[in-house]
Amino acid sequence: MVKWIPNPDPAAADIIDHVAHFRLNLADHHHLSAPDQVWWSVLIALDGVSIDGFEALAQDYADDLMIPAAYDQADRALVLPRQPVTIFARARLIERMNRWGNGLGVVSVLLGASVPTRFLDPEAQPQDLPEIVVPEGTVVQAVVDDGIALAHDLFRRDATTTRIHHAHLFETEPLAGGHATLGRGLEAGQIDALLRECTIGGMLDEDLFYARSGQVDLAQDVFSTVAMRRSHGTHVMALAAGDPMPEARADRPIICAALPSRIVADTTGFDMVPVLYLAFHILVRQARRFRTEQGAFAPVVFNFSYGNTGGPHDGTQVFAEMFDRYFGPRAVSPAGRRQRAWLTLPAGNANLDRLHAVAPHGSNRPVRLDLAVLPDDRTPSHVQIWLPVAAPGAVPPDAQITVRAPGGTDSGTIPAHPGQHTALVNARGERIAWLACQFVGGETKRSLVTLSINPTANIETGADLAPAGLWNIEIERPPQCSDGAFHIWVLRDDTLPGQMPGARQAFFDNPGYKRFDRFGAPLPVDPKDSDCPVRRSGTLSGFACADSPVVVAAYTAHTAELSGYSAAGPLNPSRDRPQPQRQGPDLAARGDDSLVRRGVISAGSRSGSWVRLSGTSVAAPQVARLATEDIASFDGTARNWAVQAVEQDRFPLRGDPSVTRTGAGAVAGKPFRP
Amino acid sequence: MASGPENALNALNALNALNALNALGSTNALAAGGGGSPLLSEALITSRDGIVGARIDPITTPVPGLPDSPQNLPRLSRTVRAAIVQADTVDIEGDETTATCWRKFSERDGRRRRVSFREMIQISGPQMDQLATQLDLVSGYARIRPDRGAEILSQVTPPTAFFGSIAFLDAARTPYTVELLNTALEFALPVIQRIKFALAVKRPVEFSPQVQPMIATPTHGSLPSGHATEAFLMARLLWKLLLKSDAPQYTDRAWWGTMLMRQASRIATNRTVAGVHFPMDSVAGAALGLTLADHVAAMCRGGAWSSGNFDAPLFDPTCDFDWHQLYDAEGDQLRPEATSDRGVWATFTQHDGPAEPPAPALHWLWHKAQAEWRDPSHGAQG
Repeated sequence: MVKWIPNPDPAAADIIDHVAHFRLNLADHHHLSAPDQVWWSVLIALDGVSIDGFEALAQDYADDLMIPAAYDQADRALVLPRQPVTIFARARLIERMNRWGNGLGVVSVLLGASVPTRFLDPEAQPQDLPEIVVPEGTVVQAVVDDGIALAHDLFRRDATTTRIHHAHLFETEPLAGGHATLGRGLEAGQIDALLRECTIGGMLDEDLFYARSGQVDLAQDVFSTVAMRRSHGTHVMALAAGDPMPEARADRPIICAALPSRIVADTTGFDMVPVLYLAFHILVRQARRFRTEQGAFAPVVFNFSYGNTGGPHDGTQVFAEMFDRYFGPRAVSPAGRRQRAWLTLPAGNANLDRLHAVAPHGSNRPVRLDLAVLPDDRTPSHVQIWLPVAAPGAVPPDAQITVRAPGGTDSGTIPAHPGQHTALVNARGERIAWLACQFVGGETKRSLVTLSINPTANIETGADLAPAGLWNIEIERPPQCSDGAFHIWVLRDDTLPGQMPGARQAFFDNPGYKRFDRFGAPLPVDPKDSDCPVRRSGTLSGFACADSPVVVAAYTAHTAELSGYSAAGPLNPSRDRPQPQRQGPDLAARGDDSLVRRGVISAGSRSGSWVRLSGTSVAAPQVARLATEDIASFDGTARNWAVQAVEQDRFPLRGDPSVTRTGAGAVAGKPFRP
Repeated sequence: MASGPENALNALNALNALNALNALGSTNALAAGGGGSPLLSEALITSRDGIVGARIDPITTPVPGLPDSPQNLPRLSRTVRAAIVQADTVDIEGDETTATCWRKFSERDGRRRRVSFREMIQISGPQMDQLATQLDLVSGYARIRPDRGAEILSQVTPPTAFFGSIAFLDAARTPYTVELLNTALEFALPVIQRIKFALAVKRPVEFSPQVQPMIATPTHGSLPSGHATEAFLMARLLWKLLLKSDAPQYTDRAWWGTMLMRQASRIATNRTVAGVHFPMDSVAGAALGLTLADHVAAMCRGGAWSSGNFDAPLFDPTCDFDWHQLYDAEGDQLRPEATSDRGVWATFTQHDGPAEPPAPALHWLWHKAQAEWRDPSHGAQG
């Protein structure tokens, strides 16, 4: 028998982030080792205090804190408003940081993934990064992804000379005396040395290369998808920056970072954003090394083929802000000089995934959502309910949120007021779900209700499991507070087949959601006459809501249609900007050759091999490649350039898809071919 | 919570084992030969994904097998027993830790024939703690089973097609080469089985309940790997034919030779991926197969043969199999020695000696096979 207990934790009003709190407090058996010994990546925001200042304030927690060596002396001295910083920390410190009034200068906490200790190097020291003088016309190509086959011939100039100037491999064990707190960084010279070492009889033994680069060490459970035929990062980086060796250009250096694969067996869930943020910081520092003979920065094009669901979708999320922090008008750059930098991002593939719902403005009936939580889900499931922003001086938005577990007669209800919470406990008194409201400050200034649900399966123990099945979520809004819509998101929670820990994606299974048209084809847009709260519109990746990146949708070339999965706008207004800065993606690029030949062809994990991958994540790097040619000369913003790129090389799409799905339209480009 | 690579799951739809299954489904013949079922293997992979859990460590190490003991016979399949019995006609002996395969020499001495034997290959069995250490690699390799499923099932039977995709093998074009390779395999089988029997090395599945191989574990011993022995034997024999063909491309560096060795290595490693072999089994198998290739070639052509020694206890069990440590395709040479921190774990010696006459039947077959690789020339009779 399960039951809801209202406000069980008197101190919960002080919790900054309830998802972090929920995950840290999962029972011991969900963690890799004793919970207080586990290291986590955490993205915190420091307000009015530098990294050095934070470290001094947190001196009582020195044993539970590692500040990445990627932050050099200058970075550590900076004092900025709400400065995001990735750290590695243990539970004792994270619990402290995750309280309002923590006295450490921490105003937001985003818990990432647990990190096995052997991947961490507390002795890592910041690296001197001397300038690299490059010819005029040089454009740096920067890629963050996972599973990047560094030795692929498309990233080499010749048999034993790489085009990659720096590769940061988060998924490897550190080298002694290195400069990486997590993983290892390889400079071009080191990659070349490995290439020479592994070239035997004139042929590169790539299995040997990835064993020596540290990317694949099967005996030590160090795994990268470069051990497999298809690896996301190799495919994407080849689309963005790969060239056959005879055509390799000296003025197109590559820098890259490979994020960790998910193979650890903890079942607390994870979020890649903290390491993604760190990866970006590392690549920004590397990119700044490239100077022309006149001393100017070489321009740089970044591609991150990553996306997420969730977030306020108004351009204020911490990741969405990231690019502007480093390259926008308020960026702090050395000697006051700016480096021209563009970023391409995928629109996301969640259009048909039923992960997004809207409780619209003006609805006088409660909105009810059926959340299908799957059996055999080894990790928690999370739902975010974002409240509208309140205009200054207006009555804040309000609602009653009620949740009922499958088969449960009891329901838990909280008013959407920060600090309110309720816990679902099982017959043994173990917590199996947590519904809570928090206020998200900064530029977001919204209330957020989170529902966190325990795993539905665990092979170690049957304890503290949440029931699988349909969970009902009901949002009831008082009629006098009806300004703006509520946006509800199921957070992405899935692991690739065969990878641990076996997460399975929950989704909304409302009866009114019409999936197919009368011919049985998936409907790519919401039917006009539907009042179903589950929506395709507004599914744009949470990362892709910022002002300046070029956001790329995907089309299917043969049918000349936008690909069904390609996520769409619109975005939400933020408090400071009633009109969102974008309506959806900026443009579309090829994500599929045809409905049968799904995906596009690009590099497989071994030199000379070619494989298909589909999605907006393969569309984005093709736009990055086009951008590389124009970034130096184009007079305008990256997004202006995207419009022009479409005008100059338009690929006409059928069905006149809306601007919220395609932006300026589709660009033809040249397919990348063997 | 996950923020993942966009559409990586879609990607995996294409790469996951179901697609491998579809691919296999269209080639029913593959399942027939080895008795393997694509559906069963796919099911074994997903079932393992579901129940395997975090690595259990440590697990009590099993007791060593009983070397060279008839007590093992009831546990072997009938075909394996037949091969072992057949091997009583070749000279292999086992003691507590070592199996030795002898090479026979005979010469006429008046009305008598004098027969002598020289050691051709000596393999010392591994220690149990080495195998327990190697289990880490076996577990790691299990991660790529979905990627290798089609290859593993197709390679349950002799992998002629995989070598035929590098060297132009075809039943009509190169019938004698195929015959030569099959003859060599027929010869190798009893040798392999007799050495396995002598060493009685236990399989990975006996070291941990988490290995859960995706194909049935064969009844015979683990070391040396029969697949590794056969694959390297085939690869090197083919390479010898190519080298003597006078076709210019085959003597340009060792592009074909290296690729044949890579293929052999991949076939050997796939058995570890499947969960039925330790990487050390592949090391021993490659050492045996490469040595037997010289022996077969010497029987066919006369002349030099090689002897080798694999001293498993001196192999560093944290290391993976790397064929480059044993053999250099450029020059078709076994490397004189391979070392680890523990000492010299493999040695090879080439014996040039006085030219020995080839075995007439093999000599005939070799020349027929050799001719299949020569370019036709104007004026020559077809």
